[in-house]
This record gives sequence, C-alpha cells and structure tokens, in this order.
Amino acid sequence: MAVTENLGRDGYIELKFGPRWKYIACVRGFIQNFLAISIVDQAKADKIAMAASELLENAVKYASHDETHIVIRVSPETERIVISVENTSSKESIAQLKDVYDKIIEGDPFQMYVAQMKEAAVRSDGKSHLGLARIRYETGGDLSLKISGNTVNLSIVIE
Amino acid sequence: MNKLNIQPIAEERIKIDITDIPQGIQINMTGDIDMEDPSILLDPFFEKIHSGMIAQGLAEVVADFKGLNFLNSSGIKAVAKWIMKLTDLDEKTKYIIKILHNKDITWQVTSLPTLTFLVPGGVKIE
Ligand SMILES: Nc1ncnc2c1ncn2[C@@H]1O[C@H](COP(=O)(O)OP(=O)(O)OP(=O)(O)O)[C@@H](O)[C@H]1O
Ligand SMILES: [Mg+2]
Repeated sequence: MAVTENLGRDGYIELKFGPRWKYIACVRGFIQNFLAISIVDQAKADKIAMAASELLENAVKYASHDETHIVIRVSPETERIVISVENTSSKESIAQLKDVYDKIIEGDPFQMYVAQMKEAAVRSDGKSHLGLARIRYETGGDLSLKISGNTVNLSIVIE
Repeated sequence: MNKLNIQPIAEERIKIDITDIPQGIQINMTGDIDMEDPSILLDPFFEKIHSGMIAQGLAEVVADFKGLNFLNSSGIKAVAKWIMKLTDLDEKTKYIIKILHNKDITWQVTSLPTLTFLVPGGVKIE
C-alpha cells in the first residue's frame, strides 16, 4: 500500500521505524514538535502525539519484522490530520487486532473506552486491549483498519 | 516514611511520592509512565496502597496526577485495576479515591474523568 499517495498540497512526514521501545518517546516528542509548527490547535497536537505513541507501542509489541512505517499528513487549510501506521504481523495478532477493532468500532467511543477499561482490569493475560479504544475516544477521530495478507495498516483521521 | 509504610518510587522517568494527609494519604506522580509493562511497577504499588488503606481503616486517597505528562494505555489499565478493587469493599473498609488533574495536560482532561465511571461513587475528580 502506498501510504503517500494523493498527497495534494498536504504537508507530511514519513518515518520508518525500527521497532525499539526506547524510540517511542523520542518519536512522540518529534511528532509533537512537527505539529506545533503545522497546526494551531495544541490540544489536537497532543492527542495526535498520544495516538501515534499508542500505535507505535503496538508496532513494537506486535510487528513480526523490524520495519514499521508511520506517516502523518496535515492539510494546511483545514488542519485535518491523518496518521497511519503499517507493519507486518502474525496471523494470531492480526486476528486479535481485527476482533478488538470490530468490537470497539461500532459503539459510542466513550462507552467502549469505559467498557474496555473494566475488562482490562480483570484480564490475566498481561494485555490491556485499551490502546485502540483510547485513541478513538481521546482523539474523536475516525479509526480504520486495512489488512492485506500479513500486512496491517491502522489509520486515524482527525478533523 | 508515611503512615502506610510504603516506599516511594523513584525511577528514571517517573517519581511517585506518598505523604500523609489527615483523612488518609496522598500520592503524587511526576514524569512519564511509558514503559513497555508499567504493571510491574504499578500493580504492586497500588496493591500496597489498597491493603494499607483497608488495614488502617482510612477514608481517602488523594491521587495527584498533575505532574504526570504521559500515561500509556497499559498504565491506564493499572490505574483502572486499582479503582476496580473498590467494588469489593464493604461499609467498614471502603475508602474513596480523589483524583487531582491538570487542565493543561490534554490526556488528563480526556482520560482521567472516564475513571470516575468505573465505580460509581468511588472516585472523584477535581
Ligand atoms: N500493529 C499491530 N500489528 C498486529 N497486531 C496488533 C497491532 N496493534 C494491535 N494489535 C493486536 O490488537 C490488540 C489490541 O491492541 P490495543 O492497542 O487496543 O491493546 P494492547 O496493545 O493489547 O494493550 P494496550 O495498548 O492497552 O497496552 C493487541 O493486543 C494485539 O493483539
Ligand atoms: Mg496497544
């Protein structure tokens, strides 16, 4: 999937991320700085940096190969932002991702986030299944998932 | 040392201090919680707070998040897990958690109030 297609007049940054936990905080800071000069709404910039950070955490935890691709696009007039993260993964992780995605995408973002929190509190497998629900609720954006073969692409559009 | 005899946490990116207040204890978090598995640090810490509050019959924990710049979703899970423990308490052992949040930190404004919905009446936010 070409993540940079149809860019038009949008500004963008594109990073290839060799999944290492330590890089996440640094990339989050970088994205925050990039957005500080790209958009006016700082609360929105914070939410996007949080979302990117959660997506990168997932990439580090669940990608099967080193390379993860992250693109952040900014439409200058509307301040519409698109973040997309792409990686390859195992059948099991992809199936789990699809389950979580299908579960949270329908309901009200707030209700789903609280429901996932309650479930997370009693899980015993060490996972939280909270990241995607958090992103959807906190950013108020449109989350979408594309799967082709062993490649997953999670993107979020924030108006 | 505080009245629950719990050691504060001082890691590279996160500090958690505990101080006595008349109605219970106050915990102050500063820094970032963004490690891969925050439950290693937070689960035992919150468990000690919880059992100490019950053992001493204290009324309130003030959880001051104002200095916490970042908390990842695994960290939110650890906080949610602590809060959910309040559901098991009876009249004699019950205590409340009062969350202090920082209006200038975006995630705190969006995520911290949702924690009050986990256990009705158990958590307050200001
Ligand atoms: N980039 C990815 N590639 C493959 N699988 C993924 C990816 N992101 C998420 N998943 C799968 O989807 C599940 C849900 O992800 P989500 O971020 O909501 O929760 P989590 O990572 O389990 O916990 P948390 O983010 O709350 O610490 C994960 O447990 C994992 O199985
Ligand atoms: Mg996650």
